[in-house]
Amino acid sequence: MSVMEGGQSPEGGVFPLDYDPTAPLLEIEDLHVEFRTRDGVVQANSGISYTLREEETLAIVGESGSGKTVSAQAVMGIIDSPPGFVTKGAARLRGVDMFSLPDHERRAMRGERIAMIFQDALTALNPVFPVGWQIAETFRAHRGTTKREARKHAIELLDRVRIPGAKERIDAYPHEFSGGMRQRAMIAMSLALDPEVLIADEPTTALDVTVQAQIMRLLQDLQDETKMGLILITHDLAVIAEVADRALVMYAGKGVEQGSVKEIFRNPGHPYTLGLLQSIARPEQKGGKLIPIVGSPPDLLRVPSGCPFHPRCPYRKDVCSEVEPPMTDTRPGRASACHFAEEVLSLGKR
Amino acid sequence: MANGNGTEPLLRVEGLVKHFPITRGIVFKKQVGTIKAVDDVSFELYPRETVGLVGESGCGKSTVARTVLRLHRPTGGAAYFKGQNIFEMSKRELRELRREIQIIFQDPYASLNPRMTVGDIVGEPWEIHKGVVAKANRRSGVQELLELVGLNPDHINRFPHQFSGGQRQRIGVARALALNPSVIVCDEPVSALDVSVQAQVINLLEELQEELGLAYLFIAHDLSVVRHISDRLAVMYLGRIVETGTDSDVYDHPVHPYTQALLSAVPVPDPEHEVTTRIVLEGDVPSPANPPSGCSFRTRCWKAQDLCAGDVPALEDRFDQGHPSACYFSEELQVF
Repeated sequence: MSVMEGGQSPEGGVFPLDYDPTAPLLEIEDLHVEFRTRDGVVQANSGISYTLREEETLAIVGESGSGKTVSAQAVMGIIDSPPGFVTKGAARLRGVDMFSLPDHERRAMRGERIAMIFQDALTALNPVFPVGWQIAETFRAHRGTTKREARKHAIELLDRVRIPGAKERIDAYPHEFSGGMRQRAMIAMSLALDPEVLIADEPTTALDVTVQAQIMRLLQDLQDETKMGLILITHDLAVIAEVADRALVMYAGKGVEQGSVKEIFRNPGHPYTLGLLQSIARPEQKGGKLIPIVGSPPDLLRVPSGCPFHPRCPYRKDVCSEVEPPMTDTRPGRASACHFAEEVLSLGKR
Repeated sequence: MANGNGTEPLLRVEGLVKHFPITRGIVFKKQVGTIKAVDDVSFELYPRETVGLVGESGCGKSTVARTVLRLHRPTGGAAYFKGQNIFEMSKRELRELRREIQIIFQDPYASLNPRMTVGDIVGEPWEIHKGVVAKANRRSGVQELLELVGLNPDHINRFPHQFSGGQRQRIGVARALALNPSVIVCDEPVSALDVSVQAQVINLLEELQEELGLAYLFIAHDLSVVRHISDRLAVMYLGRIVETGTDSDVYDHPVHPYTQALLSAVPVPDPEHEVTTRIVLEGDVPSPANPPSGCSFRTRCWKAQDLCAGDVPALEDRFDQGHPSACYFSEELQVF
């Protein structure tokens, strides 16, 4: 409920003093997040770094438990704490360090500057209030708009996300919407205050493929209009291939590869990325046998020593279980956290 | 669906209908409507082949499988297993049938009893079908099955929670294999698994098919996975099959507008792939409680004419190429 929480915010529309419109849109540096549970400390993120530019779509790819959602929640400041703690790192939005902001300023940033949509729109929406009311609340809370004005804005937003009959639908409850429409309503809510960054966490995973195509198209159109930066969190490599400019591949809470989507798909620089690409079936051609990655993703309470991927890696050597490879630049604009990145790159096209 | 090898089909489904009543009231139940989950579905499954049933959620693909297994009571139609009508079988005959047709479910977390050991789970079919494997041999039988699906036979005394998702799905496969069936219904067998693990299970299913001569009825919404594993496919929309054919017929030469729209929505995992045709459908799938008259796709179809609202277009081989479709305006369109 990114844009919803916080209620009245007298600072609506006012930004922290160090806000610098010429600074990079969003910079994440060495982000560490841990969850202190009864069973031990889970390192959900250990050293995530990336930069997002205007108009750019950055995909954060990983399997369940790789920490991709946590990294976004940390940036938004919506991790339940305790048990979750950001222990290290910085997240700068136009130069403003989000982690050092006082709560009320951070709340003002959420929705105004950075917003998030979630996989399951039905749980993210409040079932006992009409959809339009929930969208309008954003204006009332952040901008102090009158009820009537806010309602008018909400109708415009529903129109903008192409919900047919917005005027009639504004008083409908979430359960009266289909899955696709709920996700549209979420998008409407997140875009209410024209954020510069939108984080979409598996926005289409719960949807059918034809509806997924509608939602992805809508997000791209809105991005063209508003020039916002989009962070797309997903496990679906095909979706990334279609919409993302750059990608960060995550494994066991760490970034393992980063670069342009075209180059990563053409010539992956990390054995995990290579393995993922070889293991997926393709719709447009009947390929030969799939090549799976052996084993399964690790439990974050017991992350393997050295490179976390080494127990599943077909190219591992002794050093891999001893020394953790740092994220190192391999090509201009590309980086990989593998001791043998050059060798993997030289394997060429998958 | 024709098949060239001249053998008898293992499974022949003819005009299958399954309607669910919508009721109101608790003590005095009153039927206020019908969900037409499956309407007039026919297909055949031959030995050693995989038929894929694809379609979006709510199109009736799982209902088809469950009705054929008599997990639901059919409303109409017939399903023949080796020539015998499943819908007229006695309880005893049904029990025999279930030795021949087994099912693997989507969620490997929900489909295994957490209080039973792997040995008990995989061996349970032999408790029900006594006489298949003698009691004394069951333990070694389970271990053989575990080995067959790529699990460590020493883990026979472990519980489901000690396994990962992919391993659990292997346990489900081992259980399905216990009675040596000829048909396995795979209901979304990899949808709940991580990407890196899906390929393991798909490869396992392919290897077992090769080794044991199994036939699969494979249900999934992931069109890439279905293409990979299927020999023939049936595309469903709102309870009906709209197009069937070989994987190449359906994916490379689709003729029904819905198939074309569905395929065009599937993202291709290659950023350098040039999209040939882009069709983005408007709106959502209509409710199966109140489907449109005539062709149920006409409300979202760009080719729809008055004709389409009349009679339901029949699934027929419109081009004499063994590639039936249910559209008056069937026409090939390259999508990928």
